[in-house]
Amino acid sequence: MARFLRPESFSAATEDLSLLPFNFERAGANQYLVANMVGDFVRLSEEELNRLVDLQVRPGDGLYEKAYAAHLITGTNQKAQRQLLAARLRSRMSFLQQTTPLHIFVVTLRCEHSCPYCQVSRQSTDRSRFDMSEQTAMRALDIAFASPTARIKIEFQGGEPLLNFPLIRKIVAAAKQRSGKKLDFVIASNLALLDDAVLDFCKENNVLLSTSLDGPADLHNKNRPRPGANSHELAIAGIRRAREILGPDKVGALMTTTEASLDRVDEIIDEYLEMGLDGIFLRPLSPFGFAIKTKQFAKYDAQKWLAFYERGLRRVLEINRQGTPFREFYAALLLTRMLSDRPIGYVDLRSPAGAGLGALVYNYDGSIFASDEGRMLAETGDDAFRLGHVEHDSYNSLILSDKLIGAISSSLTQCAPECSTCVYESHCGADPVYHYATQGDALGIKPLSAFCARQKGIMGLLLDILENSPEDAAIMRRWAAA
Amino acid sequence: MRPMPPAAKLPAASPVEVTVDFDSSIQSLSALDAAAYRLIGTATCQVDRAGDRYVCRLVSSTNPQKGAVLSSNELKERFLNLVADENLRARVAEKTEGVRNVILALAFGALAANQNDAG
Amino acid sequence: MTLRLYGTASRSAGFSSDEARSVLRLRSVDSVAERHAADFALARTPDDIRRAVEADWSSILVVSDGAIDLPGTFAGRLVTVPPIYDYLAEGDVIGFDHASRKFRTLYRRNSAHNSLLVTERCNNYCLMCSQPPKDVDDRWILGEIKESLPLIDQATRALTFTGGETLSDWEDFIAVLTECRDRLPATAIQVLTNGRAFANSRIVDAWKDIGHPALMAAIPVYASVDHVHDHVVQAKGAFDETILGILKLKDRGQRVEIRVVMHALTAPIIEDTGRWIARNLPFVDHVALMGLENTGFAIANDAMLWMDPVDYGDGLARAVDHLSAAGVNVSVYNLPKCVLPKSVWPHALQSISDWKNGFVEECDRCDEKNTCSGFFTTGRPRFSRAVRAITSQRDKLTALAD
Repeated sequence: MARFLRPESFSAATEDLSLLPFNFERAGANQYLVANMVGDFVRLSEEELNRLVDLQVRPGDGLYEKAYAAHLITGTNQKAQRQLLAARLRSRMSFLQQTTPLHIFVVTLRCEHSCPYCQVSRQSTDRSRFDMSEQTAMRALDIAFASPTARIKIEFQGGEPLLNFPLIRKIVAAAKQRSGKKLDFVIASNLALLDDAVLDFCKENNVLLSTSLDGPADLHNKNRPRPGANSHELAIAGIRRAREILGPDKVGALMTTTEASLDRVDEIIDEYLEMGLDGIFLRPLSPFGFAIKTKQFAKYDAQKWLAFYERGLRRVLEINRQGTPFREFYAALLLTRMLSDRPIGYVDLRSPAGAGLGALVYNYDGSIFASDEGRMLAETGDDAFRLGHVEHDSYNSLILSDKLIGAISSSLTQCAPECSTCVYESHCGADPVYHYATQGDALGIKPLSAFCARQKGIMGLLLDILENSPEDAAIMRRWAAA
Repeated sequence: MRPMPPAAKLPAASPVEVTVDFDSSIQSLSALDAAAYRLIGTATCQVDRAGDRYVCRLVSSTNPQKGAVLSSNELKERFLNLVADENLRARVAEKTEGVRNVILALAFGALAANQNDAG
Repeated sequence: MTLRLYGTASRSAGFSSDEARSVLRLRSVDSVAERHAADFALARTPDDIRRAVEADWSSILVVSDGAIDLPGTFAGRLVTVPPIYDYLAEGDVIGFDHASRKFRTLYRRNSAHNSLLVTERCNNYCLMCSQPPKDVDDRWILGEIKESLPLIDQATRALTFTGGETLSDWEDFIAVLTECRDRLPATAIQVLTNGRAFANSRIVDAWKDIGHPALMAAIPVYASVDHVHDHVVQAKGAFDETILGILKLKDRGQRVEIRVVMHALTAPIIEDTGRWIARNLPFVDHVALMGLENTGFAIANDAMLWMDPVDYGDGLARAVDHLSAAGVNVSVYNLPKCVLPKSVWPHALQSISDWKNGFVEECDRCDEKNTCSGFFTTGRPRFSRAVRAITSQRDKLTALAD
C-alpha cells in the first residue's frame, strides 16, 4: 500500500540552516534591495531582512522560499548551492582568462576636426612627425602577439587614423602574416576621408568601421567643428556608403554626450533609427584631454545625465514596443551581467580593471598606455598610466609593471570601501583612470564619484523596469541573451 | 557705459550641525567609520571618544554632491540608518565569512592547484 | 487506444527448461536476412505457417486465435499470441518467460518511441509516478536488455531507457550503455533518471567514460526550493543531490535535459522554477515542461495533484519566456494546443509515445490536430475544460470576445 509523506516531513530544522553571503542597500521606506554572491537581486522588508539574518525562517513561510531560491540561505550540510555559486562565480570571472584581447594603435595624432570634448589633442594636418613609424608599429605588433589570449582585436585610432592609411595597410598585412591568433580589425574614423581604396581594403580584409554620430546635423556639427562645417554630412554619407559596400553589421556608430546633447536624446535616437542602425550606445562624457581643458565634463552632473539616459532608454523601449528591434547597448551590457553569468570583458566595467589587462594602447611615438584615457592624461602632462615604450618593454614587463599592478589592485571593487559591500558590486567595475583623473587616486571616494552615481542610477532604473514593466522587461531580457 | 551692478547674492546657508553619540561597549568604531564614509559629500563626520561613548559630530556640506541640503533631523536620521546598516553588514559578514571562503575556494581553488602542478 | 505491450501467450512449445527466459526477434516469413538464433518467423495465417516450415524456420510466432496446424515433424520453438497483438511486425523484439508464457514487447522497429524499462526500483517515490516503484530483485532485466541489443535495428534513430531509477545498478547499466555505443553507434540514447546518482563523482566519471556520441540524461527538477522538490519526489535530500548531479554532469561536458511535470504542486510556481533554471542552469541542453499523465500514483493522489492546465497557462507562458529569453531550448510536452497560450505554441511538441497517444471526438474538427500532442490514453485521462477544436471561426469569436 503506497504511503505518502506530508510536506512537513521534508522541511529542514532551523539549526540546520546557514546564511550565505549577501550585500544589501536601503531602497526606500522599509525596503531593502538584497543581492547574493553572484548578483541575483531580491527585495525584502526590514522585518524580513532581520528575520533572515537571525535565520528565523521556516519552510512554507514565503521568506524561506524567496531566500532559498535566491541563494541567501542553504542547508548546513547541503552541497549543491555552494557548488552552484562557485561555478557561477567562476563563470563571471572567466574574462580574466583572456588577457589583453584589445590592442589600440594610435597611428597618427593628426586630425582635421577640432571637437571640444575630444580626448585627442589635435595637431594640424601637415605635420608628419605625429605619425607612428613602421618600426614602432612592428614592435607594437610583437607585444600584441605576446598576449596569451587566442583572439585579439586591433583597433586603429588617432587623431584621424585614415590620415595614415598606408601604415594601417602595413599593420594589417603584417599581423595576418603572423600565425597563432585569430584577428579582428577595427578603424575608428570620422569617415570624412572614406574613399573607394579604403572601402575595398576593409572589405578584402574584413575590417570593421566604427564612427561617431552624435545626433542630428546641428548637434553633431556643434560637437565636431570642421573646416567646412560638414562633419555630419560626411559621417552620414560615410556610414551609408560603408554599410552598402561592407554590410550593415560591419559599421558601427558611437555617440558622445555633451551638454548640448542632454535635452535632445529623442532626436539623437531618431537619427540613429533613420540611418538603419540597430542600436545606440548612450555614453557619458569622459573627463579627459580637451574635455578637461574646455571644462566640458564639469558642465553636467550625474543626475542630469541620468535623466538624459532614462529618457533615451524609455524611448528605445517604446521603439521596440512599436515593432522595431533596437537596442541601447550599455543597458544590454549591464543586463547581460545582471541576468546571466556570461563573462563580459568590456574594459570599463570589470574588476580587476580593464587597464592593461583588457587593453593596451600604443601611441604614435611608441609609448604604451594602460588605456585610451591614460594616454589622454599623458597629453595633459600626467604619466600615471604610461606603462612603457615599444623600444624596451615586453608584454610581460608592461603587464607586471608596478604601475599597472598598483592601479589595478588599489581599485578592486571587491576590496574597496563601500564597493565591497555595495548591492550592485557584482555588476559594476573599477575605473582607476577615471578616478585618478577626477579625484587624484585610482580608487576614488565613491560617494563623490559621478561614475558610481551613474552606475547606481542606471542599475536602479533597469531593476525598476524589470520588476514593474512586464512588456519592457521581456524586451530587455532578450538584449541580455545575444 | 555704466558697469552693471553686481547681481544680488543669496546669503550663504549656514552649515547644519548635529551630534550623535553611541555606547562604545556595543557600537563598533569600524561601523561608524564605514557610515561616515558613505556620508562623504553630504556631511563630514568627526568621531571622538568621551569616556565610554563615541561622539560623532556631523556637519552638512555646503555644496552637497547629491540631493538637497539636509535638515538637522534628516541628517541625524540618515546617519543613524547608515550606522544600523553597517552594524547589520558586520553581523552578516561574521556569519558568512566561513562559507564565503569555501565558495571562493571552490570557485578558484582549482586554479591554484593547477598552478602548483605546473610548478 | 493504448497499445498493449505485454501479455500472456496462449500457447508455447520447444523452449528449453535450462533457461528461464528468451529474447525473440520477429522476421517476416520471406525474409532473406541472415538468421540469428533469436529470430522467429512471424505468421498470421495457416498459409504463413506452411511457408515458414517450408523455408526451414525453426522458430515461429503466430498471431491468431484459431487452431494452429503444424506438421508433426516440426520440432522447433512455437509461440502463439492472441490477435490483440496484431501490431507486431518485422524487426520487433519480445522478451518471453518460458514457465509463465508471459511476454513483453521490448522494441518495435516501426515506432519512433521505443522505451526500455531497466528496473522497477527507485530511490524516489514521486507523488505522480507513472511507474510506481517496487522493491524487487529485477536485475535480470538488464541481462535481457543486453541480449536484445544485437537484435535491434542499427538504423534506429533513438532509444529511451526508463524505470524506476535507471541508475539503481549503475555499473551494470553503464555497461549496457557501453554496449549501445558499440552495437548501435547511430542511435541517440536518452536516459530518464532522477540524477541523484550523479552527485557521486565516481558514477558521473564512469558515465563520461562511456564516451557515447549522443547520450542525454533527462532529469526532473520540480522547484527552485529544496523542500518543495523533495516533497514531490518524496525523498529528503533529493533536490540537493539532483542539482549537484546536474552540475557534475555539465562539468564533465555531458548532455542534460531538465524535465518539469506540471500539476497542482509544481504548476502554480512554474514561472519561478523556469526563471530559476534560466538564471542558474542556463547551460542545460533542453528543458521540457510537461503535462501530467494521469496514471500510476497520479490517480491515487488525484485530489492533491489535479490542476486544469488552462489555469496555469499564464505562468507557463512566462516560464517559457524567461527560458527562451535566456537562450535555453525549451519545449512543452503532453499538452494539447487548445489549452495552451498561443505564445507557447511554437514550443509545443508532439511528444506522447505513439502507443499511448490519442485524440477525442472534438479533435476531428480541429485545424491544429496534425501538430498537436493530443492526449494520454493511459490511466484515467482527465480533460481540461478548455479542450475545444481550434477553427478560424473560433479565432474570430475569441477576437470579438477580447
